[in-house]
Amino acid sequence: MMKNDGGVRVFWLLLLFLLYTRGKSFSVPGKPTLTRCRSPEKETFTCWWEPGSDGGLPTTYKLYYRKEGSEKEYQCTDYHTGGKNSCFFNKNDTSIWVNYNITVVATNALGQALSDPLNIDVYFIVEPNPPENLNVTIQNDKGWPFLRASWDPPTKADTRSGWITLIYELRIKLEEEDEWEIHHVGQQKVFNIFGLQSGGTYVIQIRCKPDHGFWSEWSDDVQVVVPNYFPNKRSAWVLLMVFSGMVFLILSWLLHLNSRNLKHCILPPVPGPKIKGFDQKLHKSGKSVDAFKSLEVPDFPHHTFSKSEDFLVEYIEVYVPEEQELMLEKSNNLHNGCLKSESSVSDCDSGRGSCDSHTLLLDKSGHQTNTQDSQTDEQKHGEALQGENLAYTHQDMVSPDMSAGRVKTWPSVFSPLPQNRSTVDQTSSIEIAKQHCLSDSLLPSDFLTPYHSPPGHCTREHLGSNYWEFDFGNKQPHLTQPQTEACHQIQAHSEININTGVKAEPAAHKFPTPRSNEYVEVQRINEEDSVVLRPVASNYDKLFEMQQGEDYSRVKGVDSDNVLLLLQKEAMEEEMNMCPCEQLTDTTGAHYTRFARSPEKPTACTHPTPQPLEERVVNGYVDTATMFTMPPY
Amino acid sequence: MNILQQGLWALLLWPHLFTVSVPLDCRDDQASLARCPSISQEKLLDRVIHHAELIYRVSEESCSLFEEMFIPLPLRLQSNQGGYACITKALPIPSSKSEIQQLSDKWLLHSVLMLVQSWIEPLVYLQMTLDRYDHAPDMLLNKTKWVSEKLISLEQGVVVLIKKMLDEGTMTTTYSEQGAFQYDVQLEMLEYVMRDYTLLTCLKKDAHKMETFLKLLKCRQTDKYNCA
Repeated sequence: MMKNDGGVRVFWLLLLFLLYTRGKSFSVPGKPTLTRCRSPEKETFTCWWEPGSDGGLPTTYKLYYRKEGSEKEYQCTDYHTGGKNSCFFNKNDTSIWVNYNITVVATNALGQALSDPLNIDVYFIVEPNPPENLNVTIQNDKGWPFLRASWDPPTKADTRSGWITLIYELRIKLEEEDEWEIHHVGQQKVFNIFGLQSGGTYVIQIRCKPDHGFWSEWSDDVQVVVPNYFPNKRSAWVLLMVFSGMVFLILSWLLHLNSRNLKHCILPPVPGPKIKGFDQKLHKSGKSVDAFKSLEVPDFPHHTFSKSEDFLVEYIEVYVPEEQELMLEKSNNLHNGCLKSESSVSDCDSGRGSCDSHTLLLDKSGHQTNTQDSQTDEQKHGEALQGENLAYTHQDMVSPDMSAGRVKTWPSVFSPLPQNRSTVDQTSSIEIAKQHCLSDSLLPSDFLTPYHSPPGHCTREHLGSNYWEFDFGNKQPHLTQPQTEACHQIQAHSEININTGVKAEPAAHKFPTPRSNEYVEVQRINEEDSVVLRPVASNYDKLFEMQQGEDYSRVKGVDSDNVLLLLQKEAMEEEMNMCPCEQLTDTTGAHYTRFARSPEKPTACTHPTPQPLEERVVNGYVDTATMFTMPPY
Repeated sequence: MNILQQGLWALLLWPHLFTVSVPLDCRDDQASLARCPSISQEKLLDRVIHHAELIYRVSEESCSLFEEMFIPLPLRLQSNQGGYACITKALPIPSSKSEIQQLSDKWLLHSVLMLVQSWIEPLVYLQMTLDRYDHAPDMLLNKTKWVSEKLISLEQGVVVLIKKMLDEGTMTTTYSEQGAFQYDVQLEMLEYVMRDYTLLTCLKKDAHKMETFLKLLKCRQTDKYNCA
């Protein structure tokens, strides 16, 4: 026995030696390793192992396992179903919620090797097969197609009985892309995919997982081609271009419309001095005279511009006695409609008015030349008014000195009286005075407006209780109207322009009947301290169209109460209308009235009948309604 | 006086007795719905299943947490080894699908009930023992506490379900076997830890078992559910 054993051992050793001498090495097998175990449906499972080195000898592998709570060792019965180096546990051998202790034994001629044991629980190693029968169809939704994917659970998974619950996951991508878009589906087996690219080819895959377990592998690809539902990509581009072109056109149009505004916004213009009619170029060239020339009113007699003294204007009350009128008439006959621009100094300077014209007159008595005067102050004016029968006349001196907004009259404003004056025209010497305010209007229109204020300005400021000025409105021109030559002279004295008056002279401008003013200029001063006036052709009437012709009354005189006595307007008017001066004598006219400071309405110019003793004033102007009697002319 | 007062209260509140008493026990016929607001069997079953699912999820998370914190890598096994078997091992619950599917509804429900009732006490113990750990994370403690609470409510649900589906009265039998678990044994630290680890893994397993049973039960109601 012992010998046999020894013999066997020797034999084996010899064999080994022989083998060894032949250059080959044999060893016990290497230790196998159980890699993983998986159950596809929680009913069966398979385990795989990795064999170690086989030692050069044929090696067999066996799997043994034990179940929890039992020491009995089982051997795997199926080594083939799962592939090589696998063991398949069938349903009968599988217990859920039971621990398995699995070991693989590798055996070869020289020995065996045991793997490390593996403990598993089947419920924990579930990894289902991928879903089957993935089907993707194209559905149409009013021209916008979408994909509908449907599939079946893996065949082995028993979802029907609820033994295993699977949740699914779908992924999709365009054929040429690399990144997948993953959609979590849940337990349903249908899924819709929207937002497809027209004409694109999509690839879809699906997989599943039990509620507690591992994800399955992705199913096979399913390709689907989306039809071209977008009519034409090119047409879409065309539409887009057209639309953007329209938008661009609209924007540019708007921009063009508002280009000026935008320019003002972005590049605000630098303000520069601008005077109307002022030619900067001429000014720059050094010819200031020429530059200012453009500022002239074309019809304006301008010869007096050069004279600085001419810029002084004063109001002068005019009282022209009959003889003077006759003289005037005669003299006027000589030059019809031709007015010398007799300068008259009137100063409506802040209402100081005129009014030292009295002194002026004295100074310049005796000549027909324009009297010039400097501006007199208010006091003088007042005195003048109070003291005498003041005959004020405007000296048609124009002072372009507008510094204080004073009214200046243009001496040369007064052009020769037009012969064809209509009765409507009103001129008065006072108008001249007025014109001193008006005259400003002969200046560029800017000066027109001051007319309204300054007379009032003039008048108001010097509210002396002792005197006031009237601008007689519509009615009055008559005497001084240059309608006919005969009438002119009458105008001369009939015009009274009272500078400093309470009456709102501006009110005087609201004459109902627009009349152009006719002006009187001082012809001469006679020896009686009266100014002989001559009507001025009113080419400028147009200029003063705004200003209603103001009719002036002739001042008879100032009574003791410092009340101006004026001749009735209508009387004068009538006289004027009738024109022949002889008829004037027929006028009653001889109404006197007292004037208080009260605005009175203008009376219609066309009433030849002398008004009874009424006071009508033209918008603040005294209406020479009731006046002292007119001495016949 | 007290009895009188109680009697008075009972008289006054007598309509509420019907509503408050057993809200889940009402019959499903239309007439009773008005008087007795209860949930239907399907909804109840759904809720119970949902409960079981949640319990499984939370117990799985707890086990992972514990494993990370306290179990060294070599010992991390999917199931216990050694002498600590799951406490529910002794329960007469089949473990293969074929066997389980052969169980009747009644047995399914009872099995679930058994499982739930057997875990109530060990969870209390688990909370106690986890407090003793030095670095037990709060999340772990909260989760175990949550599981413990949910198990109780699950038990109530299963009881009602049994009553509804099986028309049985409440069964007061408890299946917890006190002797199966030894609390007082003084163990080494490692064994201590392993025991707790085993406890958590077993909890996870049993939660899965409960869930599966209930789902099987649900899918058996083919006229109401479509589990395909």
